[in-house]
Amino acid sequence: MFETVQYEVQRRQRGTIALTVGIAAVAAFFVALFPSFSSSGIDIDQMLEAWPPALQEAFGIETLATIEGFLAVELYNFVWVIVLGLYFAYSAASVIADDIERDRMDLLLSLPVSRSQLLFEKVGSLLAPIVLINLGVAVAVYASILAIGESIALSRLVMVHLLSVPYLLACAAIGLILSVTVTRADVGKRLALAVIFVLYLLDSIAATVDGLGFIRYLSPTYYYNPTEILVHGTYGIGDAAILLVITIVLLGIARSIFVRRDI
Amino acid sequence: MNPIDVKALSKSYGDVVGIDSLTFSVKPGEVFGFLGPNGAGKTTAIRTLLGLQSPTSGKAHVLGASITDESELLEAKTRIGYLPSDLAFNESVSGKRVLDYHASIKGDSRRAELLEIFTPPIDRPIREYSTGNEQMLGIVQAFMHDPDLVIMDEPTSGLDPLKQERFNQFITNERDRGTTIFFSSHVLSEVRRVCDRVGILRDGALVGLETIESLLNQGGKRVQIQTPDTIESQIEALDGVFSVISFGETVQFTYTGTYNNLISELQQYDIVDINISEPPLEDIFMHYYGSETEPDTETEAAHV
Repeated sequence: MFETVQYEVQRRQRGTIALTVGIAAVAAFFVALFPSFSSSGIDIDQMLEAWPPALQEAFGIETLATIEGFLAVELYNFVWVIVLGLYFAYSAASVIADDIERDRMDLLLSLPVSRSQLLFEKVGSLLAPIVLINLGVAVAVYASILAIGESIALSRLVMVHLLSVPYLLACAAIGLILSVTVTRADVGKRLALAVIFVLYLLDSIAATVDGLGFIRYLSPTYYYNPTEILVHGTYGIGDAAILLVITIVLLGIARSIFVRRDI
Repeated sequence: MNPIDVKALSKSYGDVVGIDSLTFSVKPGEVFGFLGPNGAGKTTAIRTLLGLQSPTSGKAHVLGASITDESELLEAKTRIGYLPSDLAFNESVSGKRVLDYHASIKGDSRRAELLEIFTPPIDRPIREYSTGNEQMLGIVQAFMHDPDLVIMDEPTSGLDPLKQERFNQFITNERDRGTTIFFSSHVLSEVRRVCDRVGILRDGALVGLETIESLLNQGGKRVQIQTPDTIESQIEALDGVFSVISFGETVQFTYTGTYNNLISELQQYDIVDINISEPPLEDIFMHYYGSETEPDTETEAAHV
């Protein structure tokens, strides 16, 4: 058990650390920008109100005057919801398809490991970067907020990271479906990017169009809202549960496709 | 129980036939060669046997496990070694890491011993490996858990002649240890050197299943005669003479008749030199393949 997880996590170790350090640096940079923002004497929020509501919705803009609102927009709605969502969907799209395309799957399936186990261990190994990036960046954000003499409710910071885990898992599960279906890895990876981005847009657009609100329920982005968590401290555990259910259902579908497939 | 039992196994991809109703068995402790040119269905047969793709019809058992029953096959796979024809590993990891990973799942009681015979640079990342080094790493992982059955698809491709020789010697030793070996090849001389029996595959169907000796006996002898006389037409008239060619003073033919007849015929002529030898396997192979695939067989012969 978990031999494949261990192998895959180790194999990606360097990439995971680089990504964590990179995003932590970006996060610290954003935090460092905040004082010049808030002390500039301009009422930024008043300016933002002139923005189209769709744009405000898309970027999760509520306020830029507080460190929470500022981080929700600059870091979480952008890096977490979009960049990391795309990244993990893309990574998951490659786990099976790459091995098949590069002729590695033959050898892996000759090992005494069932296809289900191989599939779940491979996609499960993505949990390591998800956790490490969240931990690393949370620490970096908290430390740099203290360093600029601001403060943030620790519980909100913890929740915005914790609740991103089910969201990123759901994105990975979408990528995995594509990974076990397509015959060319490149196509799967590009499709995964497209699907996540389209779902994100659907959520943003449907939110501001009357009568289309129900479409938002289709997008995983609807169930993870960093602005709500950071600015208002409100979040639904139910939303996280929905994301986990989506993940489990998608993993189940991916499994049933993969075990039947001719390699 | 035979290590491999195949009954009427077929696999087609839509209208394309991969393998067509294969039936054969591989006996315990035997080295079985699966012979045929590229595209004959060797890889399809092997990949179906390992459960990588499901058969269209027919059935097969590997070490007693049905190939369509995943849990039975998994149990069997702990005792099977496999070397695929298109071998590939993750480029960024070292050979050692690959072996460690495989070992963590299936064991590696013979790793050190094998690494003395086959010497891939295991501390280097795979991306720096030559084809031969990757192939050697593949051979090590196929044998390191001391399997009862080893299935190899074109095992010597990419190995230099010296390593090929070492590999052939190694296979012979493995057979003596009691390991059953099933491998595909299009290199006839190699099959002849190490195999006990061969199955000959043509267009997805098994066209021959012979021991190496009977394969050779069927082929008769190759006779070369050097003489100043013109004897080609007389030789051709003899019973059991095939494929007569003459070049200069030499006449060469395949002979399946008795030696007495041949010698009494030859007494009439002025013989400078005579050479009777076993025919090359290529000639025998032609018997199964006929002339329509001649160009193919010639390219195969170039490998020998």
